[in-house]
Formats: sequence, C-alpha cells, structure tokens
Amino acid sequence: MMSASKASRLGEEIWKTRIDKVNSELVVLTYGTIVAQLCKDFDSDYVEVNKQLDKMGYNIGLRLIEDYLAKSNTMRRCANFRETAEMIAKVGFKIFLNITPTITNWTSDSKQFSLVFDENPLADFVELPDDGRAQDELWFSNILCGVLRGALEMVQMQVEAHFISDVLRGNDTTEMRISLIRYIDDELPPEDD
Amino acid sequence: MVIYSFYIFDRHTECIYSKLWLPPSAAAAAAPATPATANIVTGDGAGSVTLAPRGGPHNTDRRSVKVKASDDAKLIFGTVFSLRNMVRKLGGDDDAFISYRTGQYKLHYYETASSLRFVMLTDTTTLSMRSVLHQIYINLWVEYVVKNPLAPVEHKGGDGVKNELFELGLDQFVRGLM
Amino acid sequence: MSYYFAIIGTQDNPLFEYEFGTSKQGGDGQAHFNDQARHLNQFVLHSSLDIVEEVQWTNGQSYLKAIDKFFNNYISCFITGSNVKLLLLHQPPSSPGGGASGLGAAASTRSSTSIAANPTSPQTEEAVKNFFTEAYENYVKATMSPFYRANMEIRNPVFRARVVAAGRKYL
Repeated sequence: MMSASKASRLGEEIWKTRIDKVNSELVVLTYGTIVAQLCKDFDSDYVEVNKQLDKMGYNIGLRLIEDYLAKSNTMRRCANFRETAEMIAKVGFKIFLNITPTITNWTSDSKQFSLVFDENPLADFVELPDDGRAQDELWFSNILCGVLRGALEMVQMQVEAHFISDVLRGNDTTEMRISLIRYIDDELPPEDD
Repeated sequence: MVIYSFYIFDRHTECIYSKLWLPPSAAAAAAPATPATANIVTGDGAGSVTLAPRGGPHNTDRRSVKVKASDDAKLIFGTVFSLRNMVRKLGGDDDAFISYRTGQYKLHYYETASSLRFVMLTDTTTLSMRSVLHQIYINLWVEYVVKNPLAPVEHKGGDGVKNELFELGLDQFVRGLM
Repeated sequence: MSYYFAIIGTQDNPLFEYEFGTSKQGGDGQAHFNDQARHLNQFVLHSSLDIVEEVQWTNGQSYLKAIDKFFNNYISCFITGSNVKLLLLHQPPSSPGGGASGLGAAASTRSSTSIAANPTSPQTEEAVKNFFTEAYENYVKATMSPFYRANMEIRNPVFRARVVAAGRKYL
C-alpha cells in the first residue's frame, strides 16, 4: 500500500514534470461562465444546475481518469478505499488543480470520508447571486462531485459524492462527502452459442 | 521482431480496435486486395491458433473474413480473460498476467486500471512487450482517443477509435519496433 | 472632513457609492455631510462626468487627479480601460479650525497640513491615487465574479469592506 507521504511526493513530481500549465484565471472565468450560463438557462433553478454540473463532471471524469492513469503511471489498483482517498487528494487534485484537499471524517467502516478544500481554484472571485436562494441551493463547485463519480466508476468503484458546506455560502469550510457504494465487478463476455 | 496483430478490448469486453500487420511477402501477394482483408486463421476448437495470414487473391469472401476476424477477437478475449482470472486466483489480486507463448506465436497482455485490455501477438522470440503496450496506452490511446473531444466516451463498435492520428501513430510506432 | 466615493458605469449609471470621512489625525472615519449636501454630492459628481470626458483624452493616464471643483468640493477621477469611472468627492473642512474648534489652535494647524485639508497638495494627490488603485484592483476582482454582468450595481459586501479598508488606510 502506498503511504500518504509517498502519494504526496508522486503528486508533486508529476505536477512539476508532466503537467502542462494553463492560466488559472482562464479556468476560473471559463468555469464561472458555465455555471452562470446554466443558472440563466435553467431560470435559477439551482437544484437543476447542481444536477447539470454533476453530469458534466461525470462525463469529464470518465475521460480524465485515463489521463490520470497515464500521467501517474499507475500499474496496480489501490488496495483499499483509504488508499484511494489518498490518491484522489494527493495525486488527482494535485496534478489537475494544484491543490491538496485534506482527508478527514472517516466513518469506522472506512467507506465514507470528507475532502476539505482549504482553497478552491474554481471559486476564486466568485460571489453567489444574492437572490436569497443561491446561498442555500447552489453548490458552485458541484462539477467536482461528478468528476470523482465518473473517474472512480471507470476504475470499478461506484461512489456517491456531494458537497456539505461551501465557503461561498458563508460556511467556514468547503467540504465534500464521498461514500463508497460498492466495487463494480468485471463485466463478463457474453456467452457464445 | 515480428508483430502480427494488436487488439484493444474495453471494459464491456468488446473488441473496439484491431489491427494486423502482414509480413512483407504476404502483403505483396495480397496487394490487389486491401490489407484489411487479411486475417488470422483459427484452428479447431482446441484453441491452437495458427498465424499464417491468409493472403492471396483466392480469399475474396470479405463477409466471411469479417466474421472470422470478430470470432478471433472473441476467442482471444475469452482466452486472456480466463488466464488473467486464473493468474489472479493463484497469485493474488496484485499479480498480473503478462504473456503466454505457443510454438507459433507469443501473446502479450496489458490491462489498465480502467479495465482497458491491450493485446499484441508477436513471434515467439520477442521479449516482453508490456512496456510497449503501456506506451501505446499513454502516448496514443490517451492522447488521441481519450482527449479527442469528438470521440465518444464508450467506443461501442469501435466508435471513435479509428481516427487518423491514432492509426498513423500506432502504425509508425509498431513499424518502428520491427 | 468628508469623502464621497462613487463608481460610475459606462452608461453614466452609478455602480457603487460610499461616504466616509478621514481616519487620519484622529478623524473618526465618518462622513460629515449634512442632508442637503448628501443629495447635492450626487449631482456634483454627475456633472463632473462632462469634464472627465474632456480630460480623459488629453492624457493617457488612468488617474486624472483633481479634475473639477464645485465651491468647496474637489473631485478626483480614475478612469479604467473599460471606461468605468471611479470618482472621489473630497470636501475639506469649510473653515479651518471650524471643525476642530474644541481642540484649539494646535490641532487646527496640524490638520491644515493634512491630506484632508489640502485637496490639491501633491501628498493628497498621491494618497488619492493609492486609494483609487486599491479600489480599482478590488473592483476588477468583484467584476470577475461569473454572476456579475457589465454595468450591474456592485452589491458584493466583500468589495465594500475592502473599499472601506482602503479609505481608512490612505485617506
């Protein structure tokens, strides 16, 4: 099993050597525009916007995992869900967003944990609309939940991910909760007649 | 080193890409027909596979060739899938099935964590092609197929795999090895 | 000693306004406009926009310094590349010593050299420039929010807090 510090080093190394960098403001403004446009398109139905963001993230995750595997040179699976969490936080988030969220609040069965984001590059400059609802309903960075769901599905883990707090809403922290639902079995080839 | 053929199987066990490389002599003989009509001939049900490309003008029944090729792919997948499962059962989950060899050819296998399976058939003297398959995955598959925004995520029926960059890159890479 | 700060959009529409007083030399940071002046300030600022439009083409600078004067009100302007104007109305104490009568002559001499009492001095120009620069930086950040549209009123409380801080720091 890969130790936490080894995962950090791996993330750091990939970030330094194998990642093409892009202007962060370009990313922030692009993502912000997408969210704002969704809010407009769905008439500020924030529940629906959250859903759409999650869906977009899911489709990104399905592809992004391949890039992750290629860049991290992963040749074997994580031994358990705790190791998976380490790799998500210290390698995945590191190489794609250059942040390392803190892993915390494990349940005793090691099937649920939280990622606490000390910084969130997607949310720089963002001020939620003050229509009295966005603060309670919109999860601005919800795309990240979808990304994790999609990426983990490709490596045979069905998970559920959602935000439970966000500094944009005035909470003290930005926290995402991730629960492992099940490991997905290999698909079997169809029986030949 | 001679490389005979190459296959990619997705997580739904479907063959989403296959390519055959003919030895120069057979290719010349098959020149009037398109190279794609060449295929691997499987023997009887005992699973012995002979790799004599059935080149030559006498083989013109493309439909049966196509069926044959897809049968081959299914057979190969069945074989590597069973072997991989057996390997894991005996050697533990971290053990990996890498290759097997017959009197005629050697089959190399590489599986990604996302359940993509890469298979390559070469002559018997070839050393491990695992790193080659890994290179194909990270340098060609991820770059040209996964990162192509127009390609679908799931490649049902090989959809979106056969783009020019991937085909060209693969052909160059493999020919560079031979 | 009072200031009135406003941001004017490209359609000459107000985006943001804030009244404050000096925090230097024992100032309480409160604006001391009377009710009538409050309403007047908006007109004064608005009428100075004509002058801004004349001056803005005469030099390539963003900071146009004090561009207008209306009785005892001095107006400084900072214009952004996107033609948004940051305007500061600056009202020194109407009669020297009048505002600080309780503190005696010593206080009034000291305040006579202060930024607040000398709207045209180089130090004041510099202080106002610093204030504008900081306000502009924060304005840019506020408008980078994806939910902000051009020429929309800035209601962001964080932005307001930062302008308040800049006012306290420089003026």
